[in-house]
Amino acid sequence: MSHSHAEPNHVTGPRTYAGVLLALIVLTIITVYASYLDFGAFNTVVALIIATTKGSLVALFFMHLRHDKFNAVVFLGGLLFLAVFLIWTLFDIATRTPILPSNLKTPVMEFPGAPLNKPVRPSTGQPAGQPAP
Amino acid sequence: MSTVTHPAPAEHGHSPFLQHHFREMKQQFDAAKIGMWLFLVTEVLLFGGLFVGYGLMHARHPEAFMAAHHHLDKVMGATNTIVLLVSSFTMVMAVWSAQTSRRKLCILFLILTLLCAGTFMVIKYFEYSHKFHEGLLPGKYYTHHGDTVPGQFMFFSFYFMMTGLHGIHVLLGMAAILWILARTIRGDFSSEYYAPVDITGLYWHLVDLIWIYLFPLMYLIS
Repeated sequence: MSHSHAEPNHVTGPRTYAGVLLALIVLTIITVYASYLDFGAFNTVVALIIATTKGSLVALFFMHLRHDKFNAVVFLGGLLFLAVFLIWTLFDIATRTPILPSNLKTPVMEFPGAPLNKPVRPSTGQPAGQPAP
Repeated sequence: MSTVTHPAPAEHGHSPFLQHHFREMKQQFDAAKIGMWLFLVTEVLLFGGLFVGYGLMHARHPEAFMAAHHHLDKVMGATNTIVLLVSSFTMVMAVWSAQTSRRKLCILFLILTLLCAGTFMVIKYFEYSHKFHEGLLPGKYYTHHGDTVPGQFMFFSFYFMMTGLHGIHVLLGMAAILWILARTIRGDFSSEYYAPVDITGLYWHLVDLIWIYLFPLMYLIS
């Protein structure tokens, strides 16, 4: 929210918007092209960096956050909570080693690609409904 | 929003769209904008839950996700991305036209935005019907044959939930743009009062923003 009441809302011109659109389309082509290259473990990271660049362009120019500091803080606050949610979940994925019972058996798949045909007891991998060994 | 149907003569010396509990147009505009941004934050968190779930299952079953994404058409996905980006541009141009009191230009850009949104939904329809036909459906409805990698139904659960929720947002956005279009044709908006156009634009850009992340995560896994 602006503190000066007399100041009219900032108007960005069509030329800037056209430039942003061009940049967004070029970045889309780059991200499709990059998906054919192999960066090893960083494939997803590269795709997300390009997506974040595009997203920032949309937020800053099309959504006028460049001239709207107050709402930029509101939006970034929301993103902060999303980051907490995502990063703490990633900690769990990255650090949890599976603790499996010694009698674990691989669950049966009657045909590939299908969901498990029978409900499986998560702790043992055995079909549910049978007494646990 | 304003329920004033026709601009009455400005007997109070201010815009007929200024509601009585606001001091001035600027204050009304800023208040409406904060409300919209708070709503957009809740939208980000709504989709955020799905994105985190997607990340979790993708990390646990990389082979299944990798194999399943080959069923998606990159060309259709990229085309839809560009269509949505162009629609974002035409929307922001409609906002600019309203800001600078160019009514006819605003109508043109709103119609172009609607056309882009319609194109997006038509392409989406072809993608979905292809997947229905092949049995590439979520969870227990997955009936695709000839897979070599198990567990691909999980990818399609996320694919349909995320693109489906996004598609619903596109349809709601189209409804909002139609409403704005009707009001623009009636001549409600000018440089003095254009908050509804601006706020609908914000919503539309968020829909675009979410697709910007959905596209690489769904179509471009490598």
